[in-house]
Amino acid sequence: MPPTDVVVRLEGVSRRFGHRLILQEVSLDVARGEAILLIGKNGAGKTTLLRLIAGLLKPTMGRIERHGGVGMVAHHTMLYDALTARENLRFFAKLHVVSAQGSVESLLERVGLTDAMDQRIGTFSRGMLQRLTIARALLHDPAILLLDEPLSGLDDTGSQVVMELFADLRARGRAILIATHQIAELTPLGSRVGYLVQGRMAALEPLDGRGADAVLDRYRSLVSYRGQPAA
Amino acid sequence: MANRLLSASLAIAGKDLAIEWRTRTAFISSMVFAVLVLAVLFFARDPTAVANIDIAPGALWVTFTFAAMVGLNRAFLLERENRALDGLLLTPAPPTAIFIGKVLGNLAFVGAVELAALPLFILFYDVAVWRQLPQLLLVTAMATVAFVAVGTLLSSMVVRTRFAELMLPVLLLPFLVPPVVAAVQLTSRLLIGRPLSELAGWLKLLAAFDLVFVLLSVLLFEATLDE
Repeated sequence: MPPTDVVVRLEGVSRRFGHRLILQEVSLDVARGEAILLIGKNGAGKTTLLRLIAGLLKPTMGRIERHGGVGMVAHHTMLYDALTARENLRFFAKLHVVSAQGSVESLLERVGLTDAMDQRIGTFSRGMLQRLTIARALLHDPAILLLDEPLSGLDDTGSQVVMELFADLRARGRAILIATHQIAELTPLGSRVGYLVQGRMAALEPLDGRGADAVLDRYRSLVSYRGQPAA
Repeated sequence: MANRLLSASLAIAGKDLAIEWRTRTAFISSMVFAVLVLAVLFFARDPTAVANIDIAPGALWVTFTFAAMVGLNRAFLLERENRALDGLLLTPAPPTAIFIGKVLGNLAFVGAVELAALPLFILFYDVAVWRQLPQLLLVTAMATVAFVAVGTLLSSMVVRTRFAELMLPVLLLPFLVPPVVAAVQLTSRLLIGRPLSELAGWLKLLAAFDLVFVLLSVLLFEATLDE
């Protein structure tokens, strides 16, 4: 792929916490318009990998290049319960140096929170918080969106809204990296799939229209090859 | 660049104050604490043996210091809830802007607590502060800058620990001794009507603490963010 298309490049990235090596020599290029699914059982290093790419962690070894802004949706909302949805987004818009005028309200509309925009988010349901978290991550129109279990807490309607949003982002050339266990729901969005086993990227392959069952079979074969019981 | 730093700092300070204004948890706790300390120290003394003027400077600074600590503790606990600090770090705002924003928010909070506690102090200790009020406010501002700067730094250090609320006073109190001693010395002389010109030595010392504490805290803050 041409170098200008790469939004994130990892070269031999490892991360250690104390004596535990969580991620080992991961190399990865993410290009514009790609959506990569990261599959792996709990503790495989998915979240650590996303936090490294986001710049929230520094690699113990290796190098990470970023070309463009990074948006992140993690397990925590990274928002303030005592503020309203609109106040939260306006605050982060100021820090991202983007004009809050109109953009905050239109993002809230896109995630279906127009009616609740002036409510304190401490009163929000899990699904509403997840949608607001996604809106926060998109405020500065990032080149790559890092998603850690993005459908968590969403009902069918909410899932549909955010899946359409992600598909639209891909169509507009934004890259997406998704760490998930919800393979069936997210496989249609992906272009490639990375299998993380014991902190290593055991394989990184095009999805080529494969469904969730084929992805899971492949994961199981990689896990048993590395001598781990299948998840 | 400077504009961006200032605007991010002000946004963070404004957000902290908006949250405190809405919840008022830290302010009410600090004020209850201030009233209790002032009252306990006042009633604990023997009025026939110790004059008000002798105990008042110490009482004032013990009250200010401990009441402020409640607010300093809260500064980064706000960012721990929902891991909001990660949200700040994902923005282009430099870590220095986060620190300055937190310091500004804490200065406003501690200043408000001090202004609200001062009339109570005058009421309890019946000291004539009015003529020396501008000088007393100057000393208070200088000492407050020193302990808010170092308190904000330590608050960010301990926030990821399990016992953050207990750890902060343990780590902070040794650093507070020099500026608080200087502030007590200055306050005791001001309360007996000595002019500020006679207190230049203590004022310079307090200014030096401000400079060192603020500079060191700004330089060290980024290191406290690393996991």
